[in-house]
Amino acid sequence: MSRATRRLILPGAIAAVIVALVLLAPVLPLDDVRGMDIPHRFAPPSAAHWLGQDEFGRDVLARLIWGGRASLFIAFGSALAAAVIGTTLGLLGGYFRGVVELLTVRAAEIILCLPPLLLALLVVTILGAGTWPLILALTILYTPNYARVVYAATQQVRGLDFVTAQRAMGTHPLVILIRTILPNVLPPLLVQASLVVASAMVIESGLSFLGLGVVPPTPSWGLMIRAARGAMEVAPLLLVWPSLALAGTILTFNLLCDRLQSALDPRSVTAGGALWLRPRARSASKPATRPAASEEAPLLEIEGLSIAVNDLELVRRVTLSVRPGETMALVGESGSGKTLTGLALTGLLPDTLRVTGGTALYTPREGAPIDLAQLDEEAFRALRGTEISMVFQDAAAALNPVLRIGDQVAEAIRVHHALDGAAMQARVVELLRHVGIPDPERRARAYPHELSGGQRQRAMIAVAIANNPRLLIADEPTTALDPTIQAQILQLFAQLKRDTPGMGMIFVTHDLAVVAEIADRVTVMYAGEVVEEGPVTEVFARPRHPYTAALIASVPEGGAERLVAIPGAVPSPHKMPSGCRFAPRCTHAKPVCTQSAPRRSHPSDTRLTRCFRWEEVT
Amino acid sequence: MLRYIALRSLVALFLVWVVVTVVFLLLHLIPGDPAELLLSTGNIAADPAAVAALREKMGLNEPLWQQYISHMAGVLSGDLGASFRDGASVIEQIALRLPRTLEVILAAALIATGIGVPLGTFAAIRADGKADAAISFFASAALSTPVFVVGSVVILIFAQQLKILPAGGFVDFSEDPVEHLKLLLLPAGTVALALLAVIIRMSRASVLEVLQRDYVRTARAKGLSRGPILRRHVVRNALIPVLTVLGLEMGTLIGGTVLVEFVFNWPGLSGYLVSAVDARDYPEVVGIVMTISVLFVFLNLVVDVVNALFDPRISLVTS
Repeated sequence: MSRATRRLILPGAIAAVIVALVLLAPVLPLDDVRGMDIPHRFAPPSAAHWLGQDEFGRDVLARLIWGGRASLFIAFGSALAAAVIGTTLGLLGGYFRGVVELLTVRAAEIILCLPPLLLALLVVTILGAGTWPLILALTILYTPNYARVVYAATQQVRGLDFVTAQRAMGTHPLVILIRTILPNVLPPLLVQASLVVASAMVIESGLSFLGLGVVPPTPSWGLMIRAARGAMEVAPLLLVWPSLALAGTILTFNLLCDRLQSALDPRSVTAGGALWLRPRARSASKPATRPAASEEAPLLEIEGLSIAVNDLELVRRVTLSVRPGETMALVGESGSGKTLTGLALTGLLPDTLRVTGGTALYTPREGAPIDLAQLDEEAFRALRGTEISMVFQDAAAALNPVLRIGDQVAEAIRVHHALDGAAMQARVVELLRHVGIPDPERRARAYPHELSGGQRQRAMIAVAIANNPRLLIADEPTTALDPTIQAQILQLFAQLKRDTPGMGMIFVTHDLAVVAEIADRVTVMYAGEVVEEGPVTEVFARPRHPYTAALIASVPEGGAERLVAIPGAVPSPHKMPSGCRFAPRCTHAKPVCTQSAPRRSHPSDTRLTRCFRWEEVT
Repeated sequence: MLRYIALRSLVALFLVWVVVTVVFLLLHLIPGDPAELLLSTGNIAADPAAVAALREKMGLNEPLWQQYISHMAGVLSGDLGASFRDGASVIEQIALRLPRTLEVILAAALIATGIGVPLGTFAAIRADGKADAAISFFASAALSTPVFVVGSVVILIFAQQLKILPAGGFVDFSEDPVEHLKLLLLPAGTVALALLAVIIRMSRASVLEVLQRDYVRTARAKGLSRGPILRRHVVRNALIPVLTVLGLEMGTLIGGTVLVEFVFNWPGLSGYLVSAVDARDYPEVVGIVMTISVLFVFLNLVVDVVNALFDPRISLVTS
């Protein structure tokens, strides 16, 4: 039983008890709800009257249970009636659309133009007070809710293949609606029903309280509260009991609704917040064991880095290094773990993922190397932007839609440098001009949606380089763009590389044509592992891993097209092959490849491959 | 932007027309003779001759379409007719009472937003923790307790037992500002509690959603610390749906303060409506319902326009 289902038990059980109590009211040994006992009016709780006696000496407990019966009868009655009518309207409107939709769902929605209590009052004005006018009023009130929910669900279901198939076979629409669509819209309907019961009780009790609902002497919680108000000074408890009963019952049905919703639709529950906002639990950064940086030291040296979700390893013992001024391309198909590796270096992995092993030594401008695999949020924060910076794939989503471009760039500068208004403005404009945004003074005042895709990516790059980072991680920065724009953005990166000689870059991409253009060295990843690494020219001229070879072969001559698929697919992390992870797709695979995993081999000082047969393959 | 506002206004006008017509038809097509009702006292039937004379005077004998046209003409010229009961001008009564109702609602909205947004944001940051569970349960409980229960209980506590606030009533602000505000506190606080629950839930859900957005990750990648990320990127974006819901809720409240006004003896518009309903005073009922509906529709319009201002993308999408 899942947690969501377990959480249903408590409100479900309470609701069952409440419903059972009111259903059994006629057979329970209760006092007569109308039996007056004037001498004992306002008597406190006693053995005969557990909750005391009211202003006419009537038994409060009996009136509470019978009052609940009246309330629940009205609430359930109207919830059911509204469900039947609303579902019919929603099904018809959602299935047939067009005029039918106008006459059913849209017509019902007019009711939503009136405040709910007002509408109920109107109906009561016309029909007078009483149980049945209340049920009618509440039915009218809640019909559009059901109609909307069912309409939305029907529209979703009607597009599904199995419905289309039935239509094509000539099944009568009515049969499709009842047999196929109705069962599919039941879950949202159930949620809606518990919500309507709770909400109908609020309105019913309110109207009864005003004297416009249930007519005395029928007991009702609203009426009991109304009467108790007059006797507040003498018997304050008389106000407390019906208030508790009413609020408690409504709360029960509301909780039931909430938990029903999360049990039926687990997706509706957003994953719990954001760990980076919480106070620290992790230990502070350990000083790195490595000796102080020498001239030849790499900017970044990753050794055996692993990333996992729960116990599932997504990135396994990745090794990678970037020297100052060098551009390292990180290449692989979707799911190879290249983006995760990039995110791990800035501490921006999603909450569910963790670095489970390895080191990532980064040499900052000053001081000893830092192990990025050990840092906490605060320590990462000091590095972000000024030491390590990131350009994200989808600039439209990565820029805040409600802030002006200039403000978003200025914000990045302000984190690390205090500049006054004019100087800041000048710096922002200079940066925007530097990344090739035309008319930067004006564009600085634009919102992201007012820029073209290419300009947005340029703005994103301006944010990333605002503090002259020493390591720039670009995560597929050209993937979401048109080919011509892609070329321009690539030129911009090439220009940045020339202008800032010391800056190292990790260029995450799946596009080998891009690699050839921008990178000095390339690291090829497959299914969470590094399979080959080396200088770009050498790797392209003579790949040492069948996967790299297949990738290169799949690039059309001279084109900047996407990778043409290699037969088969990247294995899912749940079903990793036991031997070489590429073996199932490899044309060179031999029995040895499926028996054990290949270790790293070094064909030369600058090259690395993870293949048993690299010598024969190439 | 202007085109967007114009379009939304047209839709709003149409909705108002629909509501006015529906209310008119409802009241006139349903059996029950207001003239007879007005003249009968208790269970004694009214004199038929007097009823006929009154029907004539009230224009109830004219064909329905003529009544409708004269009604609409009145509405357009700002004349909502005179009360059946005492002949008082309905529009004047509304003008007198509406501000009092709006005062309670606005005060409640301020209290609820001021407390609800920070609480909801905090619950989202601590999602699934103990603080979140406590805040969420409080919101559920507040949402489940009808206003008249809250109102009655706060009177019991603050007026009856602690004796620190008056139980109800109304004093004009110009007469005694301090007393006016003291009297406002309990009704506004009562309305605020229900509103608070909605705002807490909405802020929590909205913040949780925004936290998953790419631009929050970008803000972190810039090296921003928690405070500025929450303020500038998370809450600012999360507020948009919260304000929408607040606007819609306030619209609902304009007709929904009936119970609060009744409980605290606050002479606002809704209480006026209840007595009008009780007396079947058609001009009053139609006038009040219309006012409330117009405000309701207008508020929805304002919400949409404010949203468009807050979120620069909206105007582009629709125009």
